Amino acid sequence: MSATPAPDPLLSVRDLTVTVRGEAGERTLIDGVSLDLAKGEILGLVGESGSGKSLLCRALVRLLPSRALAIAGGSVRLAGRELTTASTAEMEAVRGGAIGMIFQNPSSHLDPVMRVGDQISEGVIFHRKLDRVAARAEAVAIMEQVGFTDPARQYSNYPHEFSGGMRQRAMIAVALACDPDILIADEPTTALDVTIQAQILRLLMELRERRGLSIILITHDLGVVAQTCDRIAVMRQGGVVETGAKRQILTSPQHPYTRALIASHPSMPVDYEASEVDDQASQADQAQPFAPAPTPPLAPRPLVEIDDLQVRYPVGGGVFTRRRFFSALAGVSLQIMPGETVGIVGESGSGKSTLARAMLGLSPISDGHVTFDGDSLRLTPAATLARMRREAAMVFQDPFNSLNPRFTIGETLAEVLRVHGKVAPSAIPARVEELLRLVELDPALAVRRPRQLSGGQCQRAGIARALAVDPRLIVADECVAALDVTIQAQIVDLFRRLVATMDLTLVFIAHDLAIVRHLCQRVVVMHHGRIVEEGPCAEVFARPREAYTAALIAAIPDIDPDRRLLMPPASVLSS
Amino acid sequence: MHRYSFILTRPLQFLPVVFGVSLITFILVRLIPGDPARVLLGARATPTAIANIRAQYGLDEPLWLQYFYFLRNLLHGEMGTSIVYKIDVLRLIATRIEPTLALVVASVVLSILIAVPLAALAARHQGRPIDHVIRIVSTFGIGFPPFWLGLMLIILLAVTVPIFPVSGYGDTLFQKLAHLFLPALTIALSLSTVLLRSLRAAMVDWLKSDVATAARARGVPESVVFWRHVLPNSIAPSINLLAVNIGWLIGGTVVIESIFALPGMGQLLVRAIFSRDYMVVQGVAMVFACATVMVNFLADIATVAADPRVKL
Repeated sequence: MSATPAPDPLLSVRDLTVTVRGEAGERTLIDGVSLDLAKGEILGLVGESGSGKSLLCRALVRLLPSRALAIAGGSVRLAGRELTTASTAEMEAVRGGAIGMIFQNPSSHLDPVMRVGDQISEGVIFHRKLDRVAARAEAVAIMEQVGFTDPARQYSNYPHEFSGGMRQRAMIAVALACDPDILIADEPTTALDVTIQAQILRLLMELRERRGLSIILITHDLGVVAQTCDRIAVMRQGGVVETGAKRQILTSPQHPYTRALIASHPSMPVDYEASEVDDQASQADQAQPFAPAPTPPLAPRPLVEIDDLQVRYPVGGGVFTRRRFFSALAGVSLQIMPGETVGIVGESGSGKSTLARAMLGLSPISDGHVTFDGDSLRLTPAATLARMRREAAMVFQDPFNSLNPRFTIGETLAEVLRVHGKVAPSAIPARVEELLRLVELDPALAVRRPRQLSGGQCQRAGIARALAVDPRLIVADECVAALDVTIQAQIVDLFRRLVATMDLTLVFIAHDLAIVRHLCQRVVVMHHGRIVEEGPCAEVFARPREAYTAALIAAIPDIDPDRRLLMPPASVLSS
Repeated sequence: MHRYSFILTRPLQFLPVVFGVSLITFILVRLIPGDPARVLLGARATPTAIANIRAQYGLDEPLWLQYFYFLRNLLHGEMGTSIVYKIDVLRLIATRIEPTLALVVASVVLSILIAVPLAALAARHQGRPIDHVIRIVSTFGIGFPPFWLGLMLIILLAVTVPIFPVSGYGDTLFQKLAHLFLPALTIALSLSTVLLRSLRAAMVDWLKSDVATAARARGVPESVVFWRHVLPNSIAPSINLLAVNIGWLIGGTVVIESIFALPGMGQLLVRAIFSRDYMVVQGVAMVFACATVMVNFLADIATVAADPRVKL
């Protein structure tokens, strides 16, 4: 837990350089990185996608993702032993045996056709030369350590039979099975809900205490780092821009990029002055501070009125068996006033997205009513749907896949304008340019296709497409979840400005409570297809009435290391 | 619901399929121009003799009534009597089914034995010379039609170098296997190429997958990564491809059996068509259709066994 690296670090990386051979010659991807990891230390490796965090860790164990990549220079010393020149057999002993890895997406890293237990004992067999029976006993013991409730039985389950959190526990068990000294955790909680994230982070810290494990934790979330790590290394464009003790980095960051990263973290008070990142795609960084949108005067009629809405999906059953149903929404009632900004939060599977889709008539309603500005989707479906398509729009989670890859951004926007016929054909190019300016994209980007844009730029294009119909209502479904934290902050700002300047009602769906707290006036908390709590944002976050909401809020990793991550009571989570 | 419970319920869905097949074959056979009685009796038969034969086999009844009899007999497990062979169609088929079944099984086994090792070799050396060689050779396999390939194999391995018999079928097991080898190889050479390409593509993907990376990251040697993780994951998508091709193969045996003079159902079918032996054509078509349905059913079972996530 020392602030300075121990005199004799367990792992020492010096000037590590990784290059890629391409048609245009060699490019450097990892540029002379030096790091130290002491025994029992947790090092946070922070940076945005593409900064080289994951690649660096792959390079440590020489598992580069492509043959075109090569370690061009530098050294990696593990307890005094050089790894960059070790033989394949030696590296196989190091991988798993000395350095274990866990990955961001347990679903894709666990073998779907092999029993979970067999994957855990596989490494044991190779590293400790145990026979199958002994390896199985060892695997069961490890599964118990990482929180499987019935490991002897769960040994024989397949990965798809577990939840995301349990899969990540299985992944951790796989890594721990060979008793490594170092654990490299590559975004281990990014794909998980906040409450599950808190459990996994807690588990990692317990394992550190119990086994004296050193951990390299790769993450883009400074909150996670603040809650778990001893030291932080900030990476950018293949290099480490700043290293230091956690508190030192968080309280007095030296590099402007570190400052921008800290300022973008949604749990901090909004402070735009620090956003000085030089090469961001747009001018959003120099944005003026915005006052929260003023609460509009209460309109007599809600724009969207949802009454006892139920959505059920058939699960299983067939010709000869009774159909069973899964209730995605079990009676939800909600009113959204014109001009309001409503956040819907909840864990995955809570029904947030189903609600969003049902609200726009995109998923079939099993029971209940959705009324859009007085028109009932149940009574006059065709007319209401037609109105909704003209007056409401949706922004999707995945910015790339929700845009047609064969259309340029300009064509995508023009298509919407043409279909709705609100703008004369001759005026379309001008309107496209206007829309792009509205979402702070350079109009010159109109000729590009989605693949030629960054994730943030694509999401702006997605928002422009939503704005093209001149909507009264925008439903944004997890639209920043796939973006880096600095880009997230820019998109949230964009929404804030749009809501403030246009007559827009926004329904913002997110699993990230901190973002919702910053953007929305009202928050709706969902759990198991029901609304468990709703109210003004400030009030709900400050004084949650329901235990579930409190657990959800407590599980957000705060960027302030002194505000400990609270472990929500297990009874609340399993309810 | 148990993952394998579809094995009990699925066969009920076969009934409408079999019914449809019976209707279509019945109609199509009667659309072939020509009259079985005339073919049987020759060009100089008297009208009375022809009428007698027609009455004997119920060919003078209205079509719908003929179909009704056909269905009724089918329910009793009868397919009528062959006009040419004068024996029960089912018994006739029973004497011919063994060579065809053996040929199909032998071809499938042989093509798996060819495809899996070559696909593994190519995938593990992706982009290297051996990969290119395997891919180019497999392209030839797709390009050459089986009837030509069969003749070439006869010339090469039965005439020039007389290792295998030219044609026919034997009595002992060893003789039978010897006679089956060339026709099975002919089919396997084209069937394995399709399989090889699909397997190789899946293996290349799985070698680059997160699953393989995670296995390597826990120190599993490369060869074990391949055989324990890449191969089992790559098999599932090829199972259905194989099933579709076996379905096509069952019909395709007609050509191969003719080339190699195998006394199987394909040969029986060809002769029955020429002699307008309606009952036999119907019977063989029904058996082929049912076999295709069965193969797909077996493929479903294999898919469920190969991938624990699949539910049917």
